Amino acid sequence: MYLLKRAAFVLGAIFLGVNLLNYFVLGNTGDYLPGGGRMGEWKEAKIREACYPALESPERDGSLPKLSNDRHRVAWQDLTSAIEMTAAPNCYLVTHPNAICERNNRAYIVDYINRYFAKFDEMIDIAKRYGEAEISTVRDLWDSPRNRAISAALMQDTSNGRLIKADFGWTTPTAMKLMLDRYKGTTDNCPRA
Amino acid sequence: MIGEIFSLIRVPVAAFLGGFLVVGGWIWAPQISSLMPGLSSAVSSLGWGGSWFADARLGRAETAPVIRNCIFRVLDVGREMKMEPSAAYLVLKAGSIHASLSTLLGKAGAKTEDLTFVMASKWGEMATCIYAQDDRELCDPDNRAAMVEATTKFFAYAKQTEASKPAISPSDASVIEGFGDRLLIALKNHRGYGTLVAADFGSFAAPEITRIMREEKETRDICKR
Repeated sequence: MYLLKRAAFVLGAIFLGVNLLNYFVLGNTGDYLPGGGRMGEWKEAKIREACYPALESPERDGSLPKLSNDRHRVAWQDLTSAIEMTAAPNCYLVTHPNAICERNNRAYIVDYINRYFAKFDEMIDIAKRYGEAEISTVRDLWDSPRNRAISAALMQDTSNGRLIKADFGWTTPTAMKLMLDRYKGTTDNCPRA
Repeated sequence: MIGEIFSLIRVPVAAFLGGFLVVGGWIWAPQISSLMPGLSSAVSSLGWGGSWFADARLGRAETAPVIRNCIFRVLDVGREMKMEPSAAYLVLKAGSIHASLSTLLGKAGAKTEDLTFVMASKWGEMATCIYAQDDRELCDPDNRAAMVEATTKFFAYAKQTEASKPAISPSDASVIEGFGDRLLIALKNHRGYGTLVAADFGSFAAPEITRIMREEKETRDICKR
């Protein structure tokens, strides 16, 4: 019995450790999204590769996030992330509006939406240290034509049931909660094969 | 009962913590180092820098307004190249890492010595430029972090050039000495103004910095409104 208990603790610790490393260190947050009929395997999402060209030269796209002034405290890495993290969901949701209907794509896109809003929140949190002007600079940065198109696409996808609260599980971004609650119970209008 | 539970869990917990520290440390180390700009002269010679103890006083060097004013005086990226100042600052830091690694790897020869001298003079120029700004600029945590990092790195590289074999040329040595003298005067002033304190440089700062921080006294606090 004692040995069994000990083995259970060891296995439990290994299980916990592996999952913590996978989530926080390797960043495979998509592994922890809810399963079920609507959600597939995020690693198998075809949309990911289909959108690689959109990420190749984001600087050529004038509609992606741009800093509105020179007096800012946005680090270059954050600026690059904001641009890339806008270019990608713009491709997933706006350029390929039906991609979200496929199970694997939906899992990948839901995970990416979580990252998109998490990055915005992170940059706003940093901006708060510098006051209102910096917060407004960051808000302006994330309010490019592409960001607005993403917001419109998200609204569209929640209103027609292509995205529902259950897809996000316990990770629903605050910005999405209101939208998802508003259209609760809507059945999706995805084209049936 | 508690003892029994403890004896049961201590091995897996230790194993997990050990594994987590190794893997997590490997992946997060660059981020941790950026949170602590100017850790020590020894560490900063590896391209890192910062203070363990003065987080509230020190912000993020790469986004400091003084970096915006100074980086392109130090780093010539060409007229056509449009680069964010924070990106250019990272380029300078990356240069530091290269210089440190070359030294660590024991690549003897003029090239490595030149690189160390170039890095010392670049960080010296950067620190001099930051000190040339308005004194109150250093009340800003980001600006202060940039100042601490530039000063720490300058003294770390200056020490390396002193120890380099073959020795650097007398003219190069006088350039480094000139930067060192100017920076020590500026440090003394800022210690008096209260814009810099010993804790900003951490526990492993270069002896020159530690001496000034210890011997000089704060006469007024120019950051107080």
